[in-house]
Amino acid sequence: MSAELSDLYRSLATVADGQELTNPELVRRRADHRARTRIAGTAVAVALLLGAVAVGGWLAIPADGSAPLPPPADTPGPLPTSAAPRPSPSPSASPPPSPTPARSTSSATPEAPTTGAAPPRQPTSIPDRAFFVLPSANRTGLESQVEGPALPMLCGARHPSDSAVVQRRGRYLAYKRPETPAGYVPAGSYRHTITIYRAGRADDALRELRQAVRDCPEQKLADDTRTWRQRVLDPGRYGDESVLFEMRAPYPDGMGEPGADEVRLIRAVRIGDVVTVLWEQGWEYTAAERAQVDADSRRAVAAIVAWLE
Amino acid sequence: MRDAQSFDDFYRSTARRMLRYGYAVTGDHTEAQDLVQEAFARAWRQWGRLGAHPAPEAWLRLVVARLATDRWRHLHRWRAALSRTGPPPVAPPPSEDGVLLVRALRQLPAAQRQALALHYLFDMSVEEIARETEVPVGTVKSWLSRGRSRLAALLPDLSTVELEANDVS
Repeated sequence: MSAELSDLYRSLATVADGQELTNPELVRRRADHRARTRIAGTAVAVALLLGAVAVGGWLAIPADGSAPLPPPADTPGPLPTSAAPRPSPSPSASPPPSPTPARSTSSATPEAPTTGAAPPRQPTSIPDRAFFVLPSANRTGLESQVEGPALPMLCGARHPSDSAVVQRRGRYLAYKRPETPAGYVPAGSYRHTITIYRAGRADDALRELRQAVRDCPEQKLADDTRTWRQRVLDPGRYGDESVLFEMRAPYPDGMGEPGADEVRLIRAVRIGDVVTVLWEQGWEYTAAERAQVDADSRRAVAAIVAWLE
Repeated sequence: MRDAQSFDDFYRSTARRMLRYGYAVTGDHTEAQDLVQEAFARAWRQWGRLGAHPAPEAWLRLVVARLATDRWRHLHRWRAALSRTGPPPVAPPPSEDGVLLVRALRQLPAAQRQALALHYLFDMSVEEIARETEVPVGTVKSWLSRGRSRLAALLPDLSTVELEANDVS
């Protein structure tokens, strides 16, 4: 076996050798170009924030002081829900998708958080249209239905409210920055889930989550030698209530900028008896960016509000 | 100040080996090229520091493996969804042993692919692999043993006579 496997690896090397090698000058130029693009992107984000403050309320600033919702990167007006990719509906889990009502999202008027009023009805199944659509400039085409946990491990904490789950659907969704050209790797990815709880039990889920984060300031994860630190952040105003927390660990050698931390952001939002979780998982060790997660959280809430109306 | 000439020399002397490694751990030509270029781009961004690293090629292998693992984790779910609905993969000609191996490797966990590639492409011992991957020697033995067993099951034409004797050598 070993000798033959060696032969196979030699064949593999021969196949790999058939590939063209890029010129090293080109590799250096692309690396430098990307570094400049990243700096320019940061400068644009700061300028947008300062501009929003300067026009004195033209853009609504969330109560938590976080960056305002950036304008949708494609076009103002109703979101093009029918043309956008949606997670494949599970035949056993949800009915056929129904037409999506137009929404009043525009570049200058971010979705207002829901006021705390209970949704008009108790949902029983989650349609495709409950999942938000990324602006076209953020889309990568990488989206698929996923199963599994909605939340990261938090020192092994269990969530008793899981016994009250009526239905949960999830998807994996990669996004890119608007300024990133097509063909580049995504800027990050989400595990995005929507869960319906039995009437009156969704608030238990958020309370348990908040407590689980507080009870787990540090932890080790499987297949990872680093120590991850968790802390609850100011959640901002999303839905009826929300929990936002970060997970932070030093980058492994060779990943990220030297001395920087890898940061993951996880936000859970309750809208009536429905909880949606956006768990930013990065892409090739990118760090989550608060402005992007905030903007997509608002889109996630708006899609669920539109579904429940 | 980064020295472009020393980086270019380093690139020319290691890129071919790195591409083989990338192909062995990802099982895909395009991904291998992407990952290897990304790893070299990261190396260039830190070349001022990395140029003096005692083992820059080992550093580069580590970056390729980490990028591959991360990308694999993300793309696996996407591919799994596609595989339920998409067309069957095109079967390679039987003579292309390397391609057959790559197809089989795609069904192994990332750690096993990494350990096998380090052993067979770089002639590294179990102890050297353990140092590079920062895991105990026993873990590397387990990866190699399980990886070989799985490959034996996936490539039935291979003889398994030596498997028991050498499965953790």
